Amino acid sequence: MSDAAERNWRSATDETPLVRGLLILAAVAGMALLVAAPLLTVFVEALAKGWFAALKSLGNPDALSAIRLTLMIAALSVPLNAVFGIAAAWFITRFEFRGKAFLITLIDLPFSVSPVVAGLCIVLMFGANSAIGGWLVAQGYPIVFALPGIVLATMFVTFPFVARELIPVMIEQGCQEEEAALTLGASGWRVFTTVTLPKIRWALLYGVLLCNARAMGEFGAVAVVSGKIRGQTATMPITIEMLYNEYLSVAAFSLAGLLTALALVTLLLKTVLELRHADEIAATHRH
Amino acid sequence: MPRPLINRSPMPGLGLSMGITLTMLSLVVLGPIGALLAQGASYGLDGLWATVNRERVWAALELSFRLSFFAALFNLVFGVVLAWVLVRYDFPGRRLVDAAVDLPFALPTAVAGIALTTLYAPNGVFGALAKDFGLKIAYTQGGIFLALIFVGLPFVTRTVQPVIEEIDREVEEASATLGATRFTTLRRIIAPMLLPAALTGFALSLARAVGEYGSVIFIAGNIPLKTEIAPLLIVIQLEEFNYDGAAAIGIAMLAISFAMLLAINLIQIWSRRRIGDV
Repeated sequence: MSDAAERNWRSATDETPLVRGLLILAAVAGMALLVAAPLLTVFVEALAKGWFAALKSLGNPDALSAIRLTLMIAALSVPLNAVFGIAAAWFITRFEFRGKAFLITLIDLPFSVSPVVAGLCIVLMFGANSAIGGWLVAQGYPIVFALPGIVLATMFVTFPFVARELIPVMIEQGCQEEEAALTLGASGWRVFTTVTLPKIRWALLYGVLLCNARAMGEFGAVAVVSGKIRGQTATMPITIEMLYNEYLSVAAFSLAGLLTALALVTLLLKTVLELRHADEIAATHRH
Repeated sequence: MPRPLINRSPMPGLGLSMGITLTMLSLVVLGPIGALLAQGASYGLDGLWATVNRERVWAALELSFRLSFFAALFNLVFGVVLAWVLVRYDFPGRRLVDAAVDLPFALPTAVAGIALTTLYAPNGVFGALAKDFGLKIAYTQGGIFLALIFVGLPFVTRTVQPVIEEIDREVEEASATLGATRFTTLRRIIAPMLLPAALTGFALSLARAVGEYGSVIFIAGNIPLKTEIAPLLIVIQLEEFNYDGAAAIGIAMLAISFAMLLAINLIQIWSRRRIGDV
């Protein structure tokens, strides 16, 4: 950062004030038009007919069932992905094996697959037309157009989040402390819970936070696998789509406002983590 | 002696961590992707080609790819400017802007979609303004372009920002002492240093935009051959229970994604060789 207050000459490594001003203006204007304006629109539209109308629309049985479903999906998919992330990061950073780079590529794969294609993959594997799906339906456990399918689709699109945050941190920290604890006779589980977990907890929280935000907001993959059954498999984003297409603007934007509030809380917590625990999260997020 | 598959290690938990990793990876990601490829294989190459080789599908793939490319290009330029401004300049609200960069990642795509549509529709705040100038944004390709810029906005800034922070000011001073103008220093010294990270961000932004669905479908208008994106075509096939058709387009999109993933990796290998690990 510049210490402009102490000098009245322009350093050779600064741009002219005009260029500087124009660049700042471009950046701020771009962010205002593209990010701030849509954000504001959500709340303006939600409150277009006042607080009462907005709150009343959230009390609608379909809205309540959507909120319940979305919370349930996050409560199932996020912990499962956290367990996967911890296991994958442990396996990748604590052992040397062939094909490690390939495994990391496979874990990152969902980031470059379209959510709609992800949903399609789940339908083709677990749908009633597939071998596995058909058998499960016959046993009375449908996957697609039901909760398990939505959870699987959500897990697919959020799969790399936790692992990606943990792997760089665990590589950087090394495993000398774990080795010392093992030498002193601690069991494997004890080493993990008392040595490793405290070291990675902020990175883990960071990953869980991002995973949760995406899990609650996922639309494309869920739109494909859920079947959009009102009151049963319609999550919050799906319900927002339905309400919007029915021109129920206040109801759609009230529900959207709830999800937006969640996104803002996520950003706030993320920024706090980046400022307070910079040395315990992945280097690329430090400020 | 060949390298062992797994080196012996005193660390505990090998079986458990490997078991969880491979089981979940197979169940959630690899199995379903395999199911897609198997569906395509059973349909046969001729069938796949016959499905993809239709005017409507080509138009959708071309539209998705072209608009994503230009949106990523916009994000490349804007993202570098934004990263530079956030690292080098101090101005009121800098922290707020910095935090807001991640908003497109945190905001659900459906919410972004309906908010952008409301703003840029002919009766919206910005849409009405554009209408006065004879422009229509929402329900045209311009609207899709806008939504794709939104979803890819953070990538370039977030990959370039740490690189700018790492730049040694002395390099710029040396360049200035040797008589280079500021513009020359930026072009010949700074730009090459930022290029690999900026290209990585560009590729990530492109990959995200090509597959994007939620934020686009509201603003697109979804007119076949004109404003219909490739992911929407998959959804339409599925709604008609045409699994073969959906799988064919899905495989085409998967192939495009893999090509882009490969490109990202090649850029990273190339940049590491060129400027060392960043």
